[in-house]
Amino acid sequence: MSELPTLARPYAEAVFKTAVESKSTKEWSGMLEFLSVVMQDKEIAAIIANPRVSQEKMTQLLLDICQDQLSKEGENFLKLLVQNDRLILAPQIAELYESYKADFEGYVDVDVISAYALSKDEQNKFAKTLEKQLDKKVHITTSIDKTLIGGFLAKAGDRVIDGSIRGQLQQLAKKL
Amino acid sequence: MQLNPSEISDLIKKKIENFDVNVESHTEGTVVSVTDGIVRVHGLSEAMQGEMLEFPENTYGMALNLERDSVGVVVLGAYQHITEGDTVKCTGKILEVPVGEALLGRVVDALGNPIDGKGAVETTETSPVEKIAPGVIARQSVDQPVQLGLKSIDSMIPVGRGQRELIIGDRQTGKTAIAVDAIINQKGTGVKCIYVAIGQKRSSIANVVRKLEEHDAMAHTIIVSASASESAALQFIAPYTGCSMGEYFRDKGEDALIIYDDLTKQAWAYRQMSLLLRRPPGREAYPGDVFYIHSRLLERASRINADEVEKLTGGKVKGKTGSLTALPIIETQGGDVSAFVPTNVISITDGQIFLESDLFNSGIRAGVNAGLSVSRVGGAAQTKIIKKLGGGIRLDLAQYRELAAFAQFASDLDESTRKQIERGQRVTELMKQDQYSPMSIAEMGVSLHAANEGFLDELEVSKVRDFEAALQSYMKSEQADLMQKINDTGDYSDEIKKGIQSAIEAFIKTSSW
Repeated sequence: MSELPTLARPYAEAVFKTAVESKSTKEWSGMLEFLSVVMQDKEIAAIIANPRVSQEKMTQLLLDICQDQLSKEGENFLKLLVQNDRLILAPQIAELYESYKADFEGYVDVDVISAYALSKDEQNKFAKTLEKQLDKKVHITTSIDKTLIGGFLAKAGDRVIDGSIRGQLQQLAKKL
Repeated sequence: MQLNPSEISDLIKKKIENFDVNVESHTEGTVVSVTDGIVRVHGLSEAMQGEMLEFPENTYGMALNLERDSVGVVVLGAYQHITEGDTVKCTGKILEVPVGEALLGRVVDALGNPIDGKGAVETTETSPVEKIAPGVIARQSVDQPVQLGLKSIDSMIPVGRGQRELIIGDRQTGKTAIAVDAIINQKGTGVKCIYVAIGQKRSSIANVVRKLEEHDAMAHTIIVSASASESAALQFIAPYTGCSMGEYFRDKGEDALIIYDDLTKQAWAYRQMSLLLRRPPGREAYPGDVFYIHSRLLERASRINADEVEKLTGGKVKGKTGSLTALPIIETQGGDVSAFVPTNVISITDGQIFLESDLFNSGIRAGVNAGLSVSRVGGAAQTKIIKKLGGGIRLDLAQYRELAAFAQFASDLDESTRKQIERGQRVTELMKQDQYSPMSIAEMGVSLHAANEGFLDELEVSKVRDFEAALQSYMKSEQADLMQKINDTGDYSDEIKKGIQSAIEAFIKTSSW
């Protein structure tokens, strides 16, 4: 069985291409975010999963909920998802779309986790070094994790840069 | 002698000082599902095929299924502590195992970790488990013999250095016995042996180790053990591990012998892994590439020429060829050699030794079916003496087989037919051999000469083995020089022939048997 992101990818790519062509990447971002929130709502999820609800009823219901949040293309996209029975993929489509958008605009979302709060200066320094490393603009989100003891941990997608004291102690333990 | 406490802390202090503190970067993924040793990991976009992945608590796995958004990983070892949500790290290394001289005399598991309780293995090199076999130009044809020490095999189905000879038979027909005798016979020849035990009972493996130690054969042997209770992944990898260890010697210009006991169990382990990885099953539920797992393993057993050895050692070893001889073992069910895996391996190897339960049960041990067994290298890999004498033996047995049905009516047959039957019976009796008693070239040569020249024809069939035993001890005590000469040169000149002839005649005169 394929993973959800694999199934969602063709949709995300199609939406992204449309968005780029019509220069409406930001609007689409908002629309997909909204759709993903709607699909995750408990009651809607129950209705989607119910096989007795016909496609027309579902389309009508969803269009009513979304009303002016969706553009013409957005409504078409929604109808397509209902037709192909891929409504549950909405959150994954939104996620993949965001990563394509980030790539396109040349920036990367990085989570920087440190043991102690970083000052503004330190954050900027971080951003600059990471930008040089990853060769892209960097959006930093910081958080604190005391278990790192010291240093930092930077996560960008799959890649993890471990400069924490906890990580170094683990390396030392392995060596000894 | 104990290390005193200050010394230990000094060692540790040194290690800490030399410890390179650097920021490490790796890719991570999350465990999505764990089923029967197969873990599905989300992420890990940079995982390589066959890469070692690190799980929590120092467990490692091998990435086998690379999909768009997830990786199918086979855990090498226990997997009960892995749960959904655990982090998995890429190590950047394709699965590799330690190789080197330090492994000789040790019992290790499929990953190269010692399990004989004799401490760590001090090797300096590691080698990937999956390697590409030597190319066509790098090879040299096989012309040096590997003496297995068994009369029936060395005379009729000779094995050469760099050949792959399959040992195939039902259960309890003496397959492992041939392998162990072969290892014992390599003592003092400079051939390093590797015995890979796949899916076997630990008691059997312990037996083999004990027997080798008794016969002083562990010093030149490495035992790789992936017993029946270990995970399928380890049983699958063990042959490749052993092969990498054998290639270390081959690439250095030395000779090595590797025994895979047995490949049927490796195919079963691979089938288990593939079915759990949801790969589509084919014939007999084996995955589609079950031929490939054996062909790429056995192709690595070869003889490489001196130029290749020079290249691989960086010019340190010149003028020596290296070889890795493989004796894979396959267990058939009910003598069915036309089943899937047996036919696959038969088509890959350079010959096979068929062991039959009927022959075994009727007392002929090794129970080799000389008619169906073949060695495609043949005479090119025999010493001169065995080649000259072995040809006659094979012929006698072939003729005997043709007439064996008539053996019941021995009295009603013409002279020549009766003679052939009687000769065949005596030769068959001569080919029987005790376990753990491999014979040297000289000893074999003497026995075969006696058979060829008709010295056995006067004896009763039941007395043939006693005659042989007495003859051998006579030759050992009275004709030690001649035996040594034959062992050294392997020659069958007229001088040696006359020497053996007169020695046997002298022995008969003493009639001490």
